[in-house]
Amino acid sequence: MMVRITVRVNGKEYTREVVESKTLLHFLREDLGLTGTKEGCGAGECGACTVILEGHAVNSCLILAVEADGSTIETIEGEVKNGRLSRLQEAFHNHHAVQCGFCTPGMIMTIKDLLRRKPKPSRDEIIDGIEGNFCRCTGYEQIIEAVLDASGQLGESEGLKYAR
Amino acid sequence: MIHDFRYIRPKSLEEVHDLLSNISEQGCVFSGGTDLFVDIRAGLSTPDFVVDLKAIESLHQFSFDKQEGLIIGACVTVNELIRHAAVQKHYSILATAGRELATHQIRNRATVVGNVVTASPCGDMASPLLCLDAEVVVLSSKGSRNILLSDFITGVKSTRLRPDEIVEKILVPGRMIDAIGGYKKLKRIRGHDLGVVSVALLKGKDTLRFAISSAAPTPVLLTDFPPSTSVRDIQAAAQRAISPIDDVRCSKEYRAFMVSAFIERLMNEAG
Repeated sequence: MMVRITVRVNGKEYTREVVESKTLLHFLREDLGLTGTKEGCGAGECGACTVILEGHAVNSCLILAVEADGSTIETIEGEVKNGRLSRLQEAFHNHHAVQCGFCTPGMIMTIKDLLRRKPKPSRDEIIDGIEGNFCRCTGYEQIIEAVLDASGQLGESEGLKYAR
Repeated sequence: MIHDFRYIRPKSLEEVHDLLSNISEQGCVFSGGTDLFVDIRAGLSTPDFVVDLKAIESLHQFSFDKQEGLIIGACVTVNELIRHAAVQKHYSILATAGRELATHQIRNRATVVGNVVTASPCGDMASPLLCLDAEVVVLSSKGSRNILLSDFITGVKSTRLRPDEIVEKILVPGRMIDAIGGYKKLKRIRGHDLGVVSVALLKGKDTLRFAISSAAPTPVLLTDFPPSTSVRDIQAAAQRAISPIDDVRCSKEYRAFMVSAFIERLMNEAG
């Protein structure tokens, strides 16, 4: 059966009819065309589908679209503002924390949630924080450096200066 | 999803009871869905309808009182448990074990009750709750009944819960709030992985207990050692109580070895 739901994604409201058994991930990608959020394992292990739902990072592959009715959702598409990368995206770019890029949208949303809870996370807290996001390219080191830089914890000699 | 089902979000327990009394169709209740939707996608579960419990206010109950102890409602997530000040202060064993459960994203959805009801041999919440003498409160249209957690889990993914019942909450008594707790889990990777083996310790003034997961069909509780018992004696009792198997994650010998290793480490840390 189709159910009508309304969600607010990256500040924009969408109302759609959706099949009850459809995941939030597939709803975002197929119904709203927001394909930045990726599907990896589909079982809550890889974190590629991470979005922020009502302020909490979650695996959108394990949530039904109908469960999210009335919710506020943040996805990777909301990061760029007026054509400019977010501070976190820019740090990923500057530190080469993106290789194939498949894990990046989920990684960024997880870290966004982490930085809200802990604005200056230690190296260990970053490692713990991204435990739910697999990257099979970078070896994580560049990602950790990007988070340290984005949270203002690298000196000028270690970090690359932002353009902004 | 591979399988289509109806989604129902009742606002009252009466509605849940009505839905579960319907014997012509199969329904699954859920809150976090972090196990259920994996099973549905894998074709292991094919319910006609799923019942989302999150709109029922009373199932979000989460309170602590030194006499009453801790009450964990069915919809309390693992991250809510970890963050609760009284849990950190009085039931550190629960907070430590909770942090070992899957990942931050999963813990934002997965519930403590759901982890227990799933009754996986490698679940993280059952063994610390066993050490704390937790009870499960079960509801149906006929009323409620309390079941000791040690009686509730009967086998691999099986419990005493009847098809028309749900778990309303878990009660953790207040009598062990000053006990020292520890939890060690072996997994292959940091982050989301099923436990290879894990051991929980609870040490109070007059009591010393252990619970072991992933080393038998159900978590194994070893209780009422005098606090002065030697590590060697506890290890021997543990080896008699477990029945580990070989599987894709490790051999039975390695599981048995790590049970003894964790017992020694936990005892050293508890002092």
